[in-house]
Amino acid sequence: MIKILFFGVVADKVGKQQMQAQAGQSLEALIAEVGCADIKPLLVAVNQEQVNDLSVILKSGDEVAIMPPFSGG
Amino acid sequence: MSKPIRIQQADFSLEAEVNALKQTSQRMGGIVSFLGCARDFSEGRDVFSIAFEQYAGMAEKAMCALRDEAMDKFDILAVRMVHRVTTVHAGEQIVLIVVGAEHRKAAFAACEWLIDELKQRVPIWKKEITPDGDSWVTEHP
Repeated sequence: MIKILFFGVVADKVGKQQMQAQAGQSLEALIAEVGCADIKPLLVAVNQEQVNDLSVILKSGDEVAIMPPFSGG
Repeated sequence: MSKPIRIQQADFSLEAEVNALKQTSQRMGGIVSFLGCARDFSEGRDVFSIAFEQYAGMAEKAMCALRDEAMDKFDILAVRMVHRVTTVHAGEQIVLIVVGAEHRKAAFAACEWLIDELKQRVPIWKKEITPDGDSWVTEHP
């Protein structure tokens, strides 16, 4: 299983802050599966590292964060 | 002494951070700080308070990576960065960056670079609480 975290306006749109999904799929497929495909812009991190290549295949134990652009400071 | 790079709920002291920075080297000829505070007005409307959210773990790690990059990129001696993640009211402190260098130019340049990069690369989000309701801030001017 992989753990998925949602933040900010993305969490509001998805209606939850975290969930689990099956490993073995791409980031792009996961984003579609969890209903985030239409949210733009979107930032993604795998195991706390930001990732731009959405073709990466997720493995069991990965932690994926689906996030809106940052607005700290 | 508190960690030089950290995220916390509690308020911080500019003087305490500058003093802690100075203790790391006696070669500092210039110390530059950026102190970010909450405004009571944004996007044409009143703002009561700002609620911050972070990706715990990644946010502090991203701030440490920025510090390391700044140390490589600029001729500076030390950096301290503190970001609060809590609900702050107008006028309260949010973020502090303090940079020490032998000469002022590198300290100014590094401090500006650090706050610009922090806004782009550290997973922290702010939600403005206004008389008309709450809204996530999506831009970072």
